[in-house]
Amino acid sequence: MENKNSAAESILLVDDNPTNLQVLFQTLEGVGCKLLIAKNGEIALTIAGKALPDLILLDIMMPDIDGYEVCRRLKSNPATSDIPVIFLSALGDTEDKVKGFHLGAVDYITKPFQPNEVIARVNTHLTIHRLKREVESQKDQLEHELKVVSEVQRKLLPKQLPIIDGFKLGAHYETSRYAGGDYYDIIELPDNCWGFLIADAEGHSAPAAVLMAMTCALFRSYPGSAADPAEVLHYLNEHLCKVADPSFMTALYAHYDAKTQTMRIARAGHPLPMVFRNSDQRAIELPCPGVYPLGIEPYEIEIPVTEAKLEPGDRFLVYTDGLTERFDMEENTYGEERLLKPLATDSTSDPQGVVAAIMADVEQFAGKRHADDDQALLLGIVQP
Amino acid sequence: MEIIQKEENGIVSIAIKGRLDADSSMEAEKVVKNALGGEAKRLLFNLGELDYLSSAGLRVLLGAAKEMRRRDGKIVLCALNEFVKEIFEVSGFQSLIPIADSVESGIEIVS
Repeated sequence: MENKNSAAESILLVDDNPTNLQVLFQTLEGVGCKLLIAKNGEIALTIAGKALPDLILLDIMMPDIDGYEVCRRLKSNPATSDIPVIFLSALGDTEDKVKGFHLGAVDYITKPFQPNEVIARVNTHLTIHRLKREVESQKDQLEHELKVVSEVQRKLLPKQLPIIDGFKLGAHYETSRYAGGDYYDIIELPDNCWGFLIADAEGHSAPAAVLMAMTCALFRSYPGSAADPAEVLHYLNEHLCKVADPSFMTALYAHYDAKTQTMRIARAGHPLPMVFRNSDQRAIELPCPGVYPLGIEPYEIEIPVTEAKLEPGDRFLVYTDGLTERFDMEENTYGEERLLKPLATDSTSDPQGVVAAIMADVEQFAGKRHADDDQALLLGIVQP
Repeated sequence: MEIIQKEENGIVSIAIKGRLDADSSMEAEKVVKNALGGEAKRLLFNLGELDYLSSAGLRVLLGAAKEMRRRDGKIVLCALNEFVKEIFEVSGFQSLIPIADSVESGIEIVS
């Protein structure tokens, strides 16, 4: 094997017998690493903790703290647990070897050893250890980059929910990994009207985050009339078709006239909105015909727009399917039926309270099962 | 998820069983891509035993539909259970990919 070891790397040799230690030292002098030595378990642990060597060759039979115990302590200390340990002992029984591997050793060399064999094994484990460190550092780098993406992404969401005359808002947003594909936004329109957009890029993590950011940019620079929900979706679709393939984005846009408490809704592949009617204290999915998601191909049909008049005390909920498709430990999904309950039962007229009740219900259902997908929801309550 | 693929009378048929979600969609995508490696112009998905379909799964089926359109071929999804059918309806995908109640009627559509 090609020797790529560097002087910055070190190997700790542990043996209570000075002659053995010397032979080992001479054997490994040529591998190109700094060699450290310890003549008992106690010293070995001290040096390992301070110098954090790249490899430890450890004799088993030593007075006081034997090699097994040294290995056990190294593995139970987070600072030294990743250092590969090779046992080196006259004990040649399978049982001893198995015990060594159980304690977390990576290899076992029986004494008397062949110098070439020791060198070959040492080089192999140094290489493995080096590659492992490289992979870990690249993983850290990627995670760091995703975290930065996620921070940028959070800035794209409304910093605070607007105050709307007689219509109070609440929201929840969380991504399953650092960055996600869910998006919601609210824009203020002339004449006490408002535009609500909720969208969900298929998939999660970086590719979905890019689509999410693109949708945000498109929506905020939309030059047409935000009073026409069909036109908004046509516009987003036209532009997303150029970039989304093979993915897509579900979206729902609702135009709200706060003077008449009327919602006008257009839907592209997105889950149906839910409405809690104060008059009969029931929550339902609002029937709302739609078209396929954004980013697939231009719509050749007219996008249907559904009008819904809200009354005081009514609640209007839009959400992404990460919520209803949240799994529990037995692979059941939370589902629309279940979501209707916390939407209806919480008696507060504070939307953030209802949002909290919904999320608590979802978490209780999911138990220890973490979210596989991003989850977003936006809720408005017509104030009495 | 389990995928069974066969070819009969010029129709490539792919049966997907179990769950087609983010985890299994990569494998499904590979199988579909392989199945379409040749000149296949008739593609039938038997979804009779598909229990769960997520948006990642929809993407796999959409990819197959786009490919069939590109090569001027035909595609059909057959025997969807109520849950999967509802996903198709709510998501609007039924206007993108033809659906048949049974495998028999699906064969007629692509023949």
